[in-house]
Amino acid sequence: MAKQKKNGIPRRDFLRNAAAGAAALAAAPALPAKQPVPERGVTPPPAMSPAAEVETPSPAEVLTADRTGSDFMVDVIKSLNIEYICSNPGSSFRGLHESVINYGGNKNPEFITCLHEESSVGMAHGYAKIEGKPLLVFAHGTVGLQHASMAVYNAYCDYVPVIVIGGNIIDATKRMPPVEWTHSVQDAAAMLRDYTKWDDLPISLPQFAESAVRAYKIAMTPPMMPVVLIADGELQENPIPPDAKLNIPSLALATPPQGDSAAVAEAARFLVAAENPVLIVDRAARTAAGMPLIIELAEALQAPVVDMGGRMNFPTRHPLNQTWRAREEIGNADVILGLELADFWGAIHSYRDQMERTSRLLTKPGAKLISISSTGLFFKSNYQNFQRYPEVNLDMAADAQATLPSLIEAVKKQLPASRKSALQDRGTRLAAAHQQTLQSARESATYAWDASPISTARMCAELWAQIKDEDWSLVSTIQFVSRWPMKLWNFDKYYQFIGGSGGYGIGYGAPSAVGAALANRKHGRVSVNIQCDGDLMYAPGVLWTAAHHRIPLLTIMHNNRAYHQEVMQVQIMADRHSRGVDRVKIGTTIDDPGIDYAKLAQGLGMYSEGPVSDPKDLGPAIHRALDVVKRGEPALVDVHTQPR
Amino acid sequence: MKAEQICSYIAIAAALAIMPIAVRSAEPRATSTQEQASKASTGNAQKGKLVFETLGCNKCHGSEGEGVAGSGQGGGVPRIASTSLAPPAFIQLVRKPKGVMPPFGSDRASDSDLADVYAYLQTLKTPAKQESPAAANTSNGQRLFVRYGCYECHGYLGQGSTSTGGTRIGPPQIPLSAFVSYVREPTGQMPPYTAKVVPNEDLTEIYNFLKSVPPPPPLKSIPILNQ
Repeated sequence: MAKQKKNGIPRRDFLRNAAAGAAALAAAPALPAKQPVPERGVTPPPAMSPAAEVETPSPAEVLTADRTGSDFMVDVIKSLNIEYICSNPGSSFRGLHESVINYGGNKNPEFITCLHEESSVGMAHGYAKIEGKPLLVFAHGTVGLQHASMAVYNAYCDYVPVIVIGGNIIDATKRMPPVEWTHSVQDAAAMLRDYTKWDDLPISLPQFAESAVRAYKIAMTPPMMPVVLIADGELQENPIPPDAKLNIPSLALATPPQGDSAAVAEAARFLVAAENPVLIVDRAARTAAGMPLIIELAEALQAPVVDMGGRMNFPTRHPLNQTWRAREEIGNADVILGLELADFWGAIHSYRDQMERTSRLLTKPGAKLISISSTGLFFKSNYQNFQRYPEVNLDMAADAQATLPSLIEAVKKQLPASRKSALQDRGTRLAAAHQQTLQSARESATYAWDASPISTARMCAELWAQIKDEDWSLVSTIQFVSRWPMKLWNFDKYYQFIGGSGGYGIGYGAPSAVGAALANRKHGRVSVNIQCDGDLMYAPGVLWTAAHHRIPLLTIMHNNRAYHQEVMQVQIMADRHSRGVDRVKIGTTIDDPGIDYAKLAQGLGMYSEGPVSDPKDLGPAIHRALDVVKRGEPALVDVHTQPR
Repeated sequence: MKAEQICSYIAIAAALAIMPIAVRSAEPRATSTQEQASKASTGNAQKGKLVFETLGCNKCHGSEGEGVAGSGQGGGVPRIASTSLAPPAFIQLVRKPKGVMPPFGSDRASDSDLADVYAYLQTLKTPAKQESPAAANTSNGQRLFVRYGCYECHGYLGQGSTSTGGTRIGPPQIPLSAFVSYVREPTGQMPPYTAKVVPNEDLTEIYNFLKSVPPPPPLKSIPILNQ
């Protein structure tokens, strides 16, 4: 370790003294006697003073340091094998910023320039779902975390690990007025504490090392969630004390919790004895290893699988995939196994939003409900994302993916040979139903096939035709396009789908897509984003980030020119009050003028086409954009679409 | 409120559409074809009208059981006014229907209830409706379809959407009377449109527009849907 050149005076003491001295030197001669002193914040810059420029610093002053706390922090970050830091720059972490790009060589981690903190966290969210590990977000401890907060909430609800480091200046006597005061806070993590798993404010470098490693470990232990560290500005920028005993703890990730062996055996007994077992999967496949396990369990039981789409759980063209026959299978089930099912109650009830809100249980009387979910291991009170209380018969507070091997083993062990024929019959019936469902979906897609605006079915079919022979990855949600990709495309690899936002906070789509594409880049995959117009406009600058960092991503704009969900919501109210529906577009549509997303993307440095409103033009436009993406650049095609 | 949560399980919810409410009866269930025939032939038409509406038969078959002559992939809805089926066959068909009609088990409608419905249907002499789209003012209907926001859930050509829960209604597979009845008092998630918001005349024009929607191209003629 290099020694600091001069000991004794912390950096900020020097800066404060130097600033005061320079101001006195520059300003005092220029101000006539009794002239009012300008208010703080409007003081004109001091005139260049030859005397000041040649002034020799006091022998006690320290002007440089070879190694500061932020360098050590980068050592810690590197030890965690973190690839990227997504960040919008901020002075409260300038020390860390500079250490990353210079001391750390801007590699592992590499600084990714973001134009909004919500984009930073959204990118981290999408990245983690492809790569299976977190990246870092740097943010101002005040305004930056405030910008980031909604995206942190999405990641929290979606059980995704993200590590946020917020800058702050704890010692009030070291803050430079005025901005550092307004950008400092007593308890920076407080604003995120309701929807993060853990946070800390280390006050020494050894503590930072421990806290950072602990933060990584906590974030990665199911249920995975965002964590926050606050990095004090003094700790970042002060030289490392010569007597500092620095150590970076080793990281050993905690093994995910498995279901209790007795409970697993009982669950197997229920499933084996069932005439009509059903598996409902949501965030069940935590990693790529999860999907084969779900397939193995389903095939062992020849049980239908209903995929709620929280992750890529089950191949869309597997004969046991009965997602589109959910009502029939759930209504007929005598045992239902929910795997990381975010809303068990909602999965087995229908709900009707009329003047009197009503619900109806869909299951048969006596149907047994089994839940395996790690979400039961960690609860907070304020935000209500835990959903309605489900009355299950057997509840394993455990990670579903980690529990599946023992459950599969127990099921296979308990299945009597005499059941083989019945199971085969069930499988045959389900395979036929699956084929019929696929055929029905294709038939449905033919409706409005030649319509303009373009139907979402046509858009998704045209996109599939272009990418089906590539190594593709859909990095966007599908709920706003009638889930057509799940009906028409062949999903059979884990990275081909990443689920939704979790918290339903708009503004997630574009940044998470860019983050997932960033993760896909080194694998050479074609990342595809079906992008909602309203979502993009929350923080469209993320398109520039994609262009700047050469992140290949094919974005297809689902441009329905509205916050369409809200159009429908206001219309419901207008109908309920019998006041006419003429005005429901007020405050809900994004039209007059319509936004030209092709020009927007072009202005942000991206190849673009559109708007395309004739369905015949869509395939060729996507093909040209795909060529750009395959060359390693992002591209966007704006499509005028039907609402959903 | 960001109400996207409504869409969270929308595809599933669409598949879980609420069925017409059950009609429960304390009367004992019939156990034989003879009993069914006997009860059906002595059904109470007045009670049958009530059961017909409570079960929601009118939602598909029309308020007068008139049905709709079908074409294309949907195939229309059978006319059941003055049904020529024998009473036992009628009850059996209701219990185990063919096609898209949902089954009505004895837990939802007793044999006696269905006998009453049968008797009511015999009092109806309405001929099958044969719509004539060419004669209808379809362009105005299309304008009204957009103006009243029907396209928001059902798409501009009534193709439907699993995201919104709006079913495919272009072309409609139910008679005009059932169409109007459903719009006024929907049993599912659709908001109710009162006559104050959408007059009957406008609904008729919307219906005529939807009837005029051409059938889609055959699936086999679209190579990219067969991959």
